[in-house]
Amino acid sequence: MGQGQSGLPPGRRDRDGKKKEAKKRKIEPPIPTRVGKKKKSRGPESTNKLPQVTPHTRCRLRMLKLERIKDFLLMEQEFIQNQERLKPQEEKNQEERSKVDDLRGSPMAVGTLEEIIDDNHAIVSNSVGSEYYVNMLSFVDKDLIEPGCTVLLNNKLHAVVGVLMDDTDPMVSVMKLEKAPSESYADIGGLDTQIQEIKESVELPLTHPEYYEEMGIKPPKGVILYGAPGTGKTLLAKAVANQTSATFLRVCGSELIQKYLGEGPKLVRELFRVAEEHSPSIVFIDEIDAIGTKRYESHSGGEREIQRTMLELLNQLDGFDSRGDVKVIMATNRIETLDPALIRPGRIDRKIEFPLPNEKTKRRIFQIHTSKMTLADDVDLEEYIMAKDDLSGADIKVRIDYYSHLIITSYEEPMIIRVCILTIRL
Amino acid sequence: MADTDKLNQLLLKLVERQPKLFDISTTDGSRVAQSYLAEFDGNLIKKILIDRQLTTNKEEQNYVNFVDGGTLLHFLSFVGCADSCEFLLKQNAFPHATSKNGNSPLHAAVSNNQTEVIRVLRYHHADVYAENEFGKTSLTIANENGDDEAKEALLSVRFSSEEVETEFLQEKLPPLVEKVLSTKIDASEQEHCLMCLRAEIRVATSSMTSVPKPLKMLREFYQQLKDSYESMDTARTKSKKLLADIISVIAMTVDDQERVCLSYRLLGSQESVSSFGHPYIRRLCYQIPQEWSNDKPDDQLYQLVVDIVQYCLEHNAEAEACDLLMEMDCINEIVKYVTESIYERVCLYLTSCVKYVPEPEDSTILKTSLQIYQKFHQYPHALRLALILNDSDEIRRIFLECPDKLVQKQLAFMLGRQQVYLYLEEEDDCPDADDLHEIMANAHLNTNFLNLARELDIMEPKVPEDIYKTHLEHSRFSTAQPVDSARANLASSFVNGFVNCSFGVDKLLTEEGNKWLYKNKSFGMLSATASLGLVLLWDVEGGLTQIDKFLYSGEDYIKAGALLACGIVNSGVKNECDPAVALLSDYVLHESNTMRLGAVIGLGLAYGGSNRNDVLEMLSPVFSDPNSSFEVICLAALSSAMIVIGTCHSDLADTIISIMMNPDHESDLSTTHSRYLALALGLLYLGKQDAVDVCYAAIAVVPKPFCAFASVLLDICAYAGTGNVLKIQSLLHLCSEYYGEDKESEEKGEATSATKKPAAEDTEAASGATATEKTGKGEKGKDDKGGKKVVEPGSVDEPGAHQALAVLGIAIIAMGEDIGAEMALRTFNHLLRYGEPVIRRSVPLALALISTSNPELTILDTLSKFSHDSDSTVARNAVFAMGLLGSGTNNARLAGLLRNLAQFYHKDPLDLFMVRLAQGLTHLGKGTLTLNPFHSDRGLMTLVSIAGLLTVTIAMLDSSNSILGTGHYMLYYLTPAIQPRMLVTFGEALQPISVSVRVGQAVDVVGQAGKPKSITGFQTHTTPVLLAHGERAELASEEYVSLTPIMEGFVILKKNPAYIED
Repeated sequence: MGQGQSGLPPGRRDRDGKKKEAKKRKIEPPIPTRVGKKKKSRGPESTNKLPQVTPHTRCRLRMLKLERIKDFLLMEQEFIQNQERLKPQEEKNQEERSKVDDLRGSPMAVGTLEEIIDDNHAIVSNSVGSEYYVNMLSFVDKDLIEPGCTVLLNNKLHAVVGVLMDDTDPMVSVMKLEKAPSESYADIGGLDTQIQEIKESVELPLTHPEYYEEMGIKPPKGVILYGAPGTGKTLLAKAVANQTSATFLRVCGSELIQKYLGEGPKLVRELFRVAEEHSPSIVFIDEIDAIGTKRYESHSGGEREIQRTMLELLNQLDGFDSRGDVKVIMATNRIETLDPALIRPGRIDRKIEFPLPNEKTKRRIFQIHTSKMTLADDVDLEEYIMAKDDLSGADIKVRIDYYSHLIITSYEEPMIIRVCILTIRL
Repeated sequence: MADTDKLNQLLLKLVERQPKLFDISTTDGSRVAQSYLAEFDGNLIKKILIDRQLTTNKEEQNYVNFVDGGTLLHFLSFVGCADSCEFLLKQNAFPHATSKNGNSPLHAAVSNNQTEVIRVLRYHHADVYAENEFGKTSLTIANENGDDEAKEALLSVRFSSEEVETEFLQEKLPPLVEKVLSTKIDASEQEHCLMCLRAEIRVATSSMTSVPKPLKMLREFYQQLKDSYESMDTARTKSKKLLADIISVIAMTVDDQERVCLSYRLLGSQESVSSFGHPYIRRLCYQIPQEWSNDKPDDQLYQLVVDIVQYCLEHNAEAEACDLLMEMDCINEIVKYVTESIYERVCLYLTSCVKYVPEPEDSTILKTSLQIYQKFHQYPHALRLALILNDSDEIRRIFLECPDKLVQKQLAFMLGRQQVYLYLEEEDDCPDADDLHEIMANAHLNTNFLNLARELDIMEPKVPEDIYKTHLEHSRFSTAQPVDSARANLASSFVNGFVNCSFGVDKLLTEEGNKWLYKNKSFGMLSATASLGLVLLWDVEGGLTQIDKFLYSGEDYIKAGALLACGIVNSGVKNECDPAVALLSDYVLHESNTMRLGAVIGLGLAYGGSNRNDVLEMLSPVFSDPNSSFEVICLAALSSAMIVIGTCHSDLADTIISIMMNPDHESDLSTTHSRYLALALGLLYLGKQDAVDVCYAAIAVVPKPFCAFASVLLDICAYAGTGNVLKIQSLLHLCSEYYGEDKESEEKGEATSATKKPAAEDTEAASGATATEKTGKGEKGKDDKGGKKVVEPGSVDEPGAHQALAVLGIAIIAMGEDIGAEMALRTFNHLLRYGEPVIRRSVPLALALISTSNPELTILDTLSKFSHDSDSTVARNAVFAMGLLGSGTNNARLAGLLRNLAQFYHKDPLDLFMVRLAQGLTHLGKGTLTLNPFHSDRGLMTLVSIAGLLTVTIAMLDSSNSILGTGHYMLYYLTPAIQPRMLVTFGEALQPISVSVRVGQAVDVVGQAGKPKSITGFQTHTTPVLLAHGERAELASEEYVSLTPIMEGFVILKKNPAYIED
């Protein structure tokens, strides 16, 4: 994807991910100081990491091991409390902090780290784009420094005085669902088997990984929801988001199509990286057919870019690096147009069909949508349920809304209506 | 089909005439029924039978087996009249009625492969899992007949969709329940309804995320059913039992605080525990231990436990079976139930639990696993467990019991590695006792090691410069002349010894020994001569002749060094001639204390762990001899303790305590050597846990600061490698006590004011410390050194000396188990952050202890950070710790770090000396040896190794007076810990053979399903091969089978008779 790289805005990170060992000597290079993010930095700092407990099966051995960890943690806590009481560290911390603040100086500038020269020196560029060869102060956490990261610079000397942590693409952070939607499983009429299936393939692996371990299998990676429009695919995804305590990232297929070359695939990478960082997590990609259509010979650059975006998605779903606790839910209403590679087993293990509701389901849907209304005695829902037309859940809702709306508008002072009486006459 | 219609009509008539027709289950009921039918049209029946070709012998046999004594339904099922069956069932016929062999109609239908009937019956609640009198379900019968169609009919989903199923259940279940609940119903019908309910519950298939549908529906009737059970007539035993079963299952779905599930299960019909599925068993497993602890042994409950255990073991759920029995404190019962197919998994699970359960449960579990291994004749495994238990009788028994001579040799190798020596008597009936003795004595260790060295092509001796690689250092620094050449030479002596350890050749000593020796001064000469012992390690015959010439040297130091070297050479190997005793005994009471020193240390090293009383007696005069310096006395005590390590030798303990109490030595107790006295006492109780309690009281009367030191040391030693959390906690409490300046002056001022700072008081100071301190308070007159001032850092008198020890103790105790070790690292981080200088100084050493010969990156990083610490003691300890951490690994990263440090410290001779030592240790035996005290899958701990490491680290606590002073010979205490980390394979005649093995990182496979790989990221090598820490080997081909499952050290291989070359 070399061409068009020049079109990138200046100062964009060069994210080749490799840590640079800048220090070089003729005879034998010294041991590289570990600069840059450790490849597998999962969760909190490695020193604070707790030992991994095997086996995953629920058994006494596991409990005993966990208890042992708990004992040690309790001892640590007790020890620290005692020490804090004997010789409070706060003052000392305060003092050190103010010292560091002095060294940092204020105000500070924000710059991008271009290259690490050795332990204490680096090349940085500031927002205007001019580059400097500067010092890195000793208190800067070298573990966090990597080429391309955003750093704080002293305003006079431009020395590196700090690292800015959150380097997630703002596009991706928007996708993270901060507030759970209000729809829950109870708001879904019917779809019992679908709910069951999505629970089994998405929630269960996150909550009970030991079941799969006991069985000796890997849990499914993702599911695709397909079916006619308005049958509740997105609704079900919302219910999953409502129910789960895992990080929920939602994105629409079309959001992944970007103006510049390489931006789309990059967004996909970022998306999955963030998902892994915050694992366990669920990624929901709505309207996947926007990027997931079958590949064909194409001469338009835009087409090709979309295909490349999909290829990146393929790689993220079942590529070389294993994604830990990241589950993917996709939704589409045109599964037949999707690229077969995208929905092959191993990438998407379950395909869940959403059929048009049958009578019983329709009855449930009617009940759900009319549950907050007061119905007139002469309303006979059965009449509509039995009607032969192929109504989807969305059709039902819109009909109820439409007729309710008619009633509101037919009154002169709609605002004072306490009891909305629904009488539907088709 | 016209016949069938006719038949139906007949049946209808029959039913009209005899409304309780289906009740005919008296003797030969079906024949009676037939006769009824015959009344209507006998020919018709015959015709049906002939039509359906039920006239062969086999069918007749089946008829007799399954239908005789049954009902009409049996008959109809057998002949396959599905419509008639359905008709009958709709008339409330019992689908659970039994024929004389306890067969249900379903059995009859299956026996004759009537798939249509099977479907009909199942629809009417027939129970696929009902057993006949022979314990066979219809499913097993179908399996036996190899009848796939019938099987499919039995197992197929009954309903087209879930909705249909729900509707069906909603329609059928409530009436059944109502019938059960009604008081008027007669016994048999109630029974019938209950059986239907049970059948529905049993067949309910559901996803694991939801409650089975029938249970969900029945849950509403839970209370009613319970009430009905209470009020039910006691005469109806069968119904009652069935109802109890059902209540028990329903209880699974409700909040069950009162263990209803279990109590009703016990009231129930005691049928097979598996019939209600796995979750039910899990629930019972959960409730049984609670019930058990409340009650006295209860046969019925016990029977249930046995059933569950057997079921679990049959179904690969060894963890559950073991858990249940462990919770009930009767794990030894499991021996009866394990089978060939699962015993390995059971034992693996049990042994992994050992580290985490409190005593005495751990030894019970170990004994149980040992019994299991014995039951299946796995002698190497059993011996390994006996060694963990440290039970010498058991070891001997297993060894002698082993019928296979070759396996016995393998056992001897295992004993040799653990340095256990069994003396085989005549009556033990071992024809090749000599061979076995030789193996156990490690007599071939040196030859085999040299073979390995030749194989790896590392025989060429190395000089210290090869290790330092100063040419790689920056020229700017290395031009500077070494400031202290004597110290540099001393360092080189040690490095030379460590690097060429046990290779038998080097370039400094074996070639032109005297020249090099005279480049050293006084004690340096001693250490330089002794390093010859390291070079010739384990080579008793060849080595002693080379050392011999130095025994006649004019220089006392050289002679003493040669004595020490004699001892070192014999470390870990035994020789019938006892050359060490012969050579050293004369010098134990030599007039020069230097000579005594050499002889005393030498004896300790040579006979560490041998439990030899004659050597002990040889050493005992030293204690009382007036010419012995205090140092010699202390080291003699240490050597004696190493000889009888971990035996609670009471005489020696008394002797040591009396030395401590001796008023003559009172002032000596504050010297650096007194710590070895305390250590000697500790080593006697190494790993003995509770047995140490008697000793606390004894040392409580010892003068105060020393007493605290000694008691902490006792604690550490007694619980070494156990991972005991309580001990770690009390040690941490010790570390959190605070000794401010004011306290120090206070202490010096008046003895009685030895109270703690109030703040420290309420930190629930460890009970041990409080106790000892209080007794210390009662003890008067310890204050003879009231005038004494500055206490040297690192000495036993320093206020926090026992805290430094406590830090080491955390490492020594936690090193036995992985989780504790990892968590201890976190603790050390906190200690570094909050601790007083004295604590900070010992943390690097503790880190080294916890991960000896295992240069883990995180620890290495921490240590490398502290190697530049502003407190020079911390820095030196960190450097030394880096050496221990990477000992015998040739770790390139570490070597690079140390080279950088050598540059950094090139001006400071002491620091440089430390760096050199660390470099030497890193290349110990050119990277073929290890100091790690754990072997055999990190399950076995060698006591003398621990003793060695502990001695050196304790000496390091006061490095300026020991290692960096004249006491550098203390470093030779590392010798007992030196072991090769190789895998050598032998053929059946004990000749070395080369086979290809896979070597990879060990994986914890406990409790995993299937047969998971036990190593990961492996590489294939041919033996002999080196195994790094945490690595495991397995045979790459099936040509040979290993006699021991743990491929470490020396392994004997046997040709695989089943192997076919391709």
